[in-house]
Amino acid sequence: MTDREPEQLNVAPGAPHDSLLSETLSYVIGLGLALVLTGISFWVASTSSLWGPGVAAGLVVLAIAQMGVHLVFFLHITSGPDNTNNVLALAFGVMIVFLVMIGTIWIMGHLAANMGPTPEMLNLHTQRG
Amino acid sequence: MFGELTWEAIPFDQPIPLITSLVVVLALAGIAFWAWRKGWWPYLWNEWVTSTDHKRIGVMYIVLALMMLVRGFADALMMRLQQSLAIGASQGYLPPEHYDQIFTAHGTIMIFFMAMPFVIGLMNFVVPLQLGVRDVAFPTMNNVSFWLTASGALLVNLSLFIGEFARTGWLAFPPLSEKAFSPGVGVDYYLVALQISGVGTVLTGVNFVTTILKIRAPGMSYMRMPVFCWTTLAANLLILAAFPVLTATLAMLMLDRYLGFHFFTNGGGGNSMLYMNLIWVWGHPEVYILALPAFGIYSEVVSTFSGKPLFGYRSMVYATLAICIISFMVWLHHFFTMGAGADVNALFGIASMIIAVPTGVKIFNWLFTMYGGRVRFTVPMHYAIGFMLTFVLGGLTGVLLAMPPVDFIVHNSMFLVAHFHNVIIGAVVFGVMAGYTYWFPKAFGFTLDERLGKIIFWCWFIGFYLAWFPAYALGFMGATRRLQHISDPSWAPYLHVEMVGALVILAGIVLTVVQLLYSIRTREQRLDVTGDPWDGRTLEWLTLSPPPHFNFAVLPDVHGEEAYWTRKLTAIRDEKLVEEPKYEDIEMPLNTPTGVICAFFASLTGFAVIWHIWWLAIVGLIGAFAVLVWYAWRDEHEHIIPAAKVAELERERRRIRGELLKTLTVPT
Amino acid sequence: MSATEAAAIGLTHNASEDTGLGHRGPESKSIVVPYGFWLFVLSDMVLFSALFATYASLVHATDGGPITSQLFDRTTVAVETGALLLSSFVCGLAMIAAKRGNMAWTQIWLVVTGLLGLVFLALEIEEFAGLVAIGAGPQRSAFLSAFFTLVGCHGAHVTAGLMWIGTMIAQIWAKGFHPHIMRRLLCLSIFWHALDIIWVAIFTIVYLIGTLP
Repeated sequence: MTDREPEQLNVAPGAPHDSLLSETLSYVIGLGLALVLTGISFWVASTSSLWGPGVAAGLVVLAIAQMGVHLVFFLHITSGPDNTNNVLALAFGVMIVFLVMIGTIWIMGHLAANMGPTPEMLNLHTQRG
Repeated sequence: MFGELTWEAIPFDQPIPLITSLVVVLALAGIAFWAWRKGWWPYLWNEWVTSTDHKRIGVMYIVLALMMLVRGFADALMMRLQQSLAIGASQGYLPPEHYDQIFTAHGTIMIFFMAMPFVIGLMNFVVPLQLGVRDVAFPTMNNVSFWLTASGALLVNLSLFIGEFARTGWLAFPPLSEKAFSPGVGVDYYLVALQISGVGTVLTGVNFVTTILKIRAPGMSYMRMPVFCWTTLAANLLILAAFPVLTATLAMLMLDRYLGFHFFTNGGGGNSMLYMNLIWVWGHPEVYILALPAFGIYSEVVSTFSGKPLFGYRSMVYATLAICIISFMVWLHHFFTMGAGADVNALFGIASMIIAVPTGVKIFNWLFTMYGGRVRFTVPMHYAIGFMLTFVLGGLTGVLLAMPPVDFIVHNSMFLVAHFHNVIIGAVVFGVMAGYTYWFPKAFGFTLDERLGKIIFWCWFIGFYLAWFPAYALGFMGATRRLQHISDPSWAPYLHVEMVGALVILAGIVLTVVQLLYSIRTREQRLDVTGDPWDGRTLEWLTLSPPPHFNFAVLPDVHGEEAYWTRKLTAIRDEKLVEEPKYEDIEMPLNTPTGVICAFFASLTGFAVIWHIWWLAIVGLIGAFAVLVWYAWRDEHEHIIPAAKVAELERERRRIRGELLKTLTVPT
Repeated sequence: MSATEAAAIGLTHNASEDTGLGHRGPESKSIVVPYGFWLFVLSDMVLFSALFATYASLVHATDGGPITSQLFDRTTVAVETGALLLSSFVCGLAMIAAKRGNMAWTQIWLVVTGLLGLVFLALEIEEFAGLVAIGAGPQRSAFLSAFFTLVGCHGAHVTAGLMWIGTMIAQIWAKGFHPHIMRRLLCLSIFWHALDIIWVAIFTIVYLIGTLP
C-alpha cells in the first residue's frame, strides 16, 4: 500500500473530504432543499388545486427527490469514479427494493382479484377471528 | 419463573426422541470429557473457538455442516422407512404428528444448517487465499457469524429434547403455522433459530461482498479473479438482497403468534397468500445462494483436472451475474397454482425458463474446458462429471415445471420433490463434496484417501438415482409430497427402490466418516509437502499446506488471469523462484470470545422467547448488548507477527518450492 | 528478459491496458469499513421494502375497523419529520467537528442529534399509545398490524440509533478521535441519514398518500 493516497480512487460513503466551509455548506443546502421539498409534499397532499390522480404520483416523485437530496448532500454519493462501488451497490439495492415492492403489489393485486372472498364468505370475513 | 417450560416438555413418552436425546447428550458429554482429559480445551478455545482466522472459521462451518448432515439424513432415513412400511393396511411406525416434525426438521436442517454452512465454510476458507490477501474484510464479524449460525443449529436440535419441532414443512406456511393451528412451541423453535442464524448470514454477506470488491492482491482486477470468487460475490449479493426479506417475513409471523397481530391469520383481514409470496421472494434466491458457489467449485475443479484454463472466462462471469439478477425475478413459479392468473404466471414462467440459459452456457464452458485437455479422474473430477449429468436432468425437469400448465398437474407432487432433490444433490451436495476433497489438503496438509473417496462418490451417485428417479414416476402417478401413509399398494416397488437408494447414500455418509478417520490415521502416506498437490492454477496453491496464519508473507503481484499458473510457468521457464521479497512485520487481528459469548446470549434469549420466560429474554438481550459494548471498548485490535518470523516461515516455503521446481518441466 | 518479453507474459504492472480497479492492492480500513456498513444499510432497506410491500397489500384489510384517514394526524407527522430531518443535519455537523478533532462541538452536536431523535420517538410513542387507547391497536386488523410494524420497525431502528449515539458519546469522551472511533462515527452517521431516507418513504406513503381524499 502506498504511504500517501494520491488521488483517492475510492471514497467511503458519507466521508467528508473538503474544507470546513464547503462541507458545512453541503449540509445546509441539503437541509434547505429537504425542508422545501417536505413542505411542498405536505402542501400537495392537502391542496385541492391539483388534479386528483396526479397527486399520489407527484408525492412519490417528491419523495424520490428528497431521498436524492439526502444521498447527495448528506451521504455524499456522487457519480465520480471514486464513488463507483457505492453507486453500484445503491443501484443493486434500489433494483431489489423495486422488484420486491412492485412484484408483491402486482402479484397480491391479481391474487386479490382472482381469489378474493365470495359474497357468502364476506360476511364471515369481517368478523373478528 | 420458567414461563411455559415444564417437565412435560421432555418426551418421556416418545421412545425415539428420548433415546436419541440420551445418546446425543452422552456422546457430546463423552467427547467433551475426553477432550478435557487430553488437555485440549485451552487449545480449542485459543486456536479455534475464538479464532478470527478465515481458515479456521471455514473449517468450523464445515464441521457443523457435516454434523448436521448426519442429523438431516437420519430424518431422511426415517421418512424413507416410514414410506416403505406404511403401505395399505399398515400404519408404519411414525404417527403423523411425529412424521410431520421429521420432514420439517429434515428440510430446515439440510438447507439452513447443512448446505448453507458447508458452502459458507468453503467460501470462507478459499476466497481470501484465492484473492491473494490475508483475511476477509471483517474477521471478528466473521467469527460472530459462525457462532450465530451454530446457535440456530443448537436451538433446532434442542427441540428434539425439550418440547417439539414445527409440523408445518420447512417453510412454515400459515395458517397452519399460526398460533391457532400450531399452539405448541415447535414453530417458535423454528422461527427463533432461523432469525438468529439469519443475522449471522447477513453479516457474512456484508463480509464477502466487501472483501471481494475492496480487498484483493495488487494487480488483481475483476477480470483476473478466479471464477469461484465471482460466484461467491454473486451468492453474497443474493444473501444481502434476500435474507432481509426472510427476516421481515418470519418476524411478521412471530408478531402474529406472540402478539396477536393479523398479518397472515384467517381473521382480522390477514392474508396467508402474502406469506407465500414473501417467503418465496427469499426462497428462490436462496437456492442460487447455494448453487452459484457450487458452480464456482466446479469451474476450479474442471480447469485444474483438465490441465487447461477455464473455457470462456468472460462468458462465465456474465452468466454468473445474469443468474444472480434473474434469480430475483422468478419466485412466483413456486406458487403458480395459488391463483395469480395467466398473465402473472406467464411472466414468471418465461423468466424461469430464461434462467436456464446462462446455466447452460456454464455447462458448455465446462465441457469445452475438458475437451482437448488431459483429464485426471480424481475424486473431485468424479463429482464434477456426476454433477454435469445429474444437474442437467434435474434442470430439465425444472424447465418442465417452469411451464404453468405442467406445474398445475405436478405441483407439490413427488415429481416436484424429485426435481429439487435432483438439482440440490446434483449441484450442491456433489459440489461441496468435491470442494471438501479438493481443498482438504490445503487445510490440513494431507490428502484424503482417494480410493475411499471414489467409493463414496459412487454411493452418492448410484444412491441418488435409486432414491429419486422412482419419485418422478410416483409424482406422475399422483403421489403427493409429505405422505405419512401410502394408500395405493402399486406404489410399493417404487418406494422400496427408494429405500435401497437411501441406504446406499447412508453407506456413502458412513464411509465419509471412515475416510476422514482413516486418512488422519494414515496421513504420513499422503502428505502434501509442497502445498500444490493437484498442480493447481489459483493462488491458494502458492502457500504451504496448511498456510501460515497470515497466508502470504508478501501479497503476490498478480499478472494476468490464473495468477498462480502464470507465476508457476514463469518460474519453471526461468528455473528460479520469484525474487525474495523484503520482509515486514505483519499485523493480524486478535482472537476474541465476542462471537461465542454473543451466541451464548442469543441462544439464551432465543430459548427464553420460545418458552415465554420473559425475564430471561431481557437478561439475554442485555447480555448481548453488553458484550458488544465491552468488545467495542478494547484498545488493542491487532497483534504483530515480527518480520523475522515471517521471513523464517517464508524461507522454509521457498526452500520446499525450490526443490519442487527442480523436478518440474514446462508442460507441452 | 527483455521488456517486451516481460510484457508478453504479463509481468509488468504499467501495462497500457486498463485492467480495472485492483492495481493498488487491498483498500485501507477507512474505505473498507464504511463500505461494508453501506452494504448493511442497503440490506436493511430491503427489509423495509418487504414491510412496505406488506403494508401496501394490507392497507385496505381493515376488517371493518378504523381506516387511515380516521387515525393519522398530519401535524404530528410534520413535527416528527422536521425533528428527524434536523437531527440528520446536526449529525452532519457533528461529523464535521469530529473530523477536525473538536471534542466540545462534536459532543454538543451529537447530544442535539440524540435529543431531536428522542423528540421524534416520544411523538411516535404517544401516537401509538393513542391509537391503542381508542381500540386501534395492531391486533385490531391486518392493516393496523402492518402499520404498527412498518412504522414501529423504523422507530426500533431509531431507538437502536439513539443507544448507539449514547455509546459513541461515551467512547469519544473516553478515548478521543482514534481512527477506529472515527470509522464508527462515520458508520453511525450513514445509519442516521439512512433512517431519515426511510422516514421520507414512510411519511409520504403511509401518512400523506394514505390519507388523500
